[in-house]
Amino acid sequence: MVELELRNVSYQYEKDTFSVQELNWKLHRGEIHCWLGRSGSGKTTLLQLAAGLKQPTGGKVLHQDVPVEEPLSDIGFVFQDATLLQWKKVIDNILLPIQLKRKITEEDIAYAKALLEMLQIQHLFDRYPSTLSGGQKSRVAIARALVTRPTLLFCDEPFAALDLLTKEELQNELLYLNQSKNIAMLFVTHDVSEAAFLADQIGVMEKGAFIYRQQAPDWSNVNSHRRDTPLFRDYCMGIRQSLEETAHA
Amino acid sequence: MRKKAAITSIMVGLLLFVVWKYSARRVSDLILPQPADVFTVLMEGFIDGYFYPHIMTTLTEIFIGLLIGTVLGIGAGIIIGESAFLRNVFSPYIVISQAIPKIALAPLFMLWFGYGMTSKVVITALVCFFPLLEATASAMRQVNNEQLALFKLMHASRLQTLWHLKIPGGLPSILQGLRVAVILALVGAIVGEFIGANQGLGALITASQSMMDTTLMFAVLIILALIGFLLYGLVNLLEWKLLHLKKGEEKH
Repeated sequence: MVELELRNVSYQYEKDTFSVQELNWKLHRGEIHCWLGRSGSGKTTLLQLAAGLKQPTGGKVLHQDVPVEEPLSDIGFVFQDATLLQWKKVIDNILLPIQLKRKITEEDIAYAKALLEMLQIQHLFDRYPSTLSGGQKSRVAIARALVTRPTLLFCDEPFAALDLLTKEELQNELLYLNQSKNIAMLFVTHDVSEAAFLADQIGVMEKGAFIYRQQAPDWSNVNSHRRDTPLFRDYCMGIRQSLEETAHA
Repeated sequence: MRKKAAITSIMVGLLLFVVWKYSARRVSDLILPQPADVFTVLMEGFIDGYFYPHIMTTLTEIFIGLLIGTVLGIGAGIIIGESAFLRNVFSPYIVISQAIPKIALAPLFMLWFGYGMTSKVVITALVCFFPLLEATASAMRQVNNEQLALFKLMHASRLQTLWHLKIPGGLPSILQGLRVAVILALVGAIVGEFIGANQGLGALITASQSMMDTTLMFAVLIILALIGFLLYGLVNLLEWKLLHLKKGEEKH
């Protein structure tokens, strides 16, 4: 089932030469797709178009075959900055998407706590964000994005500011969430190994267009330690080369 | 470091006191009274209850004026901060009204509202209104774009965005406005009393001037300084309660 489709999507900024040009993309239920590119390549703009935060100037975005005309509801979105509200406790930050819709139930609280446990931060539920580390804040942001039980999660470079070990831990957790909850994910990053590790499909962007698309190799035999395999290194190398070509494009 | 600064601060205070004491010996009491005399007048005034009605009058004017100015200033700041149209309509008038010294309107308010408490409350409210209007309006526009996008994705209504994001997020700026407003409130009430009042610390300063009682004037000035210090402390306490207590200890 197609979860999200971009059909000839274009976007032109006012008074700006930058544009996104007639892009097509299909994301199926339960898949992770990564859009990779240098700063200013248009990947964040495209993600915002896909989430309905911006409306395309041409073409259309379809979510479960329905045209997207306003910000998508019942999706999760994780930003580069964790965007936690400093004046709310962790549990209240996580429950915010529900609080804005309806009264919070015991079941909601139990589910939020289960997410915290899954992300190994159950002990932080009554802390304020200013007392958390960068990795802990990212985990809270992921829990908040998942609390409404979305089938689609958008991630805009959510781990860009984290150290390598924390980043890899969170990538593992995201992959586990994708597999256990069958959530489709659109993930924007400039980190080649992050895209190679997470994605079922990668799109390399430059100047508002995809210049390279790559299906992930079959990881089924090496899933648990794929980062250490020669196959993973070769795969990363191939993507890196395509990215380096963008410098000369 | 903080302890060292506190000790130095006390030393500076003592030095100023010594300078006052020795300067006062060289000039007439009419120009600069002795600290001991000022202290005696201060104590006697408190013991026999002479100062209390004046303090109460000034404090009442300050608190009512501050309350009205704060409510209206924050309310108007939210409306102007939220609506680009209203901001464009009213900003020339706000700039013009900022250019007029509000205190200069005090005689006019005496004519309009009489010599009672109302005119002082109106002056105080007016001087408090503008710093809070500006602080709140700019706080409404300084929201993190990603947080705003998040609220859009959560389909939050305008009121929900205001209540859950913009107001709590803008609280540090609003409290900065309040910090300025409390001091201006004291100025507003006192100047209002200078122009025409029977009671209040401003009226007492005017009375002491006409009686050539500089010692009493100094005693009242010390009371005013203490009130200003107390008000500033109250805003600090409010800030601590609203910001630091809620945020918890910062991670180091």
